[in-house]
Amino acid sequence: MKFAVVVFPGSNCDHDAHYAATHVLGQQAEYVWHKDTSLGNADAVILPGGFAHGDYLRTGAIARFSPVMTAVRKFADAGGPVLGICNGFQVLLEAGMLPGAMLRNRSVKFQCEHVLIKTEQTDTPFTLACRPGQVLRIPIAHGEGNYYAEPDVVARLDKNRQVVFRYTNADGVETEDANPNGSVSNIAGLCNERRNVVGLMPHPERACELALGSSDGRVLFDSVVRAVTQGAFAAAR
Amino acid sequence: MRARVFVTLKPSVFDPQGKTVTDALHTLGFAAVRDVRQGKYFELDVDARSPDDARRLASEAADKLLSNPVIESYRIEIVDEVTA
Repeated sequence: MKFAVVVFPGSNCDHDAHYAATHVLGQQAEYVWHKDTSLGNADAVILPGGFAHGDYLRTGAIARFSPVMTAVRKFADAGGPVLGICNGFQVLLEAGMLPGAMLRNRSVKFQCEHVLIKTEQTDTPFTLACRPGQVLRIPIAHGEGNYYAEPDVVARLDKNRQVVFRYTNADGVETEDANPNGSVSNIAGLCNERRNVVGLMPHPERACELALGSSDGRVLFDSVVRAVTQGAFAAAR
Repeated sequence: MRARVFVTLKPSVFDPQGKTVTDALHTLGFAAVRDVRQGKYFELDVDARSPDDARRLASEAADKLLSNPVIESYRIEIVDEVTA
C-alpha cells in the first residue's frame, strides 16, 4: 500500500513517518508538499509532527489553509484513512476535521518524554490491530497538547466512542499523574464520527523499533496496512 | 483606517500562561492582582471606505483566521485616522 506524508513548511517528523512506512513496514510512501493539490494514488494520509508555518498565530492555524488540505478533506470525506500526529492533530483540529482545540500545556513547558496511553477504541483503521484496552508506551514532544473541548462536546465524544486514546498509568487507569499536559478527560487521541480520521499527540512513528526505546507505536501503522490491504476497517465496523 | 482586534480566551477556558504570569506577579509583591488573562492583540491597517466597512472586514478576518471560536472570543475597535 502507499502512504502520502504531507510536508508543510516547518514539518519535522515527516522523515520519521516516511521511514516508519517504508523501512519498518516495507510499504510505499511519498512526500506531498503542502502546495500540491493532489495526494496521488495514496491509500492513507499522514499529517506529521513539527511546527507547520512556525506555529505562528496558533498551532495549525495557517496550515489548515494550505492547498493540500482541500485534497486531504476530500480524501477523508471519501472514507480514506487520515492520521494526524502531534502538529498534524493540531492541524486537523484547526481545520474542523476533528472537534476541540489545543491549549498551552498546564506546565507551560515543552514536554518531551515517554507516556502511557490506553487504546479505547479498536474500530478505527489505525487501532484495529490493538487489543481492546492495550496500553502503549509512546513519546510525546509538544508545548500545546492540552486538549480542550466544551463539556457538551466531551460528552458527545464519549457517547460516540470517539476518544481513541487516553493518558493512563501502566494499569490503564486514568489518573492526574498520568496526564502530562492537562488535557480534559485525559484525552490523548480522537477520531471523527465516521472513524476514518484519527489524531493523537503522542508520536507512534518515533516508537516503531526497539532501538528507539519502544516499538509500541508500530501497531498503529500495522493497523492501517491491514485496514487497507485486507479491507479490515470496513469489516470491523 | 486601523482596526484593533483583541483576541482572548473564553472565560470558561483555563489559561496556563495567564496563571503563570499571575504567580510571577504575586512573587514580585503584586498581591492586589487577583488574576491575569493573557490574549493577543492585532493591529490591521485596512483600506476601507467607512468604519463599518473596516469593522466588517476585521470581523471576517477574526472569524476566519485570527481567533479560534472553540476557545477564543474577540473584540474590535476601529480607529479612523482622519478624526483620531
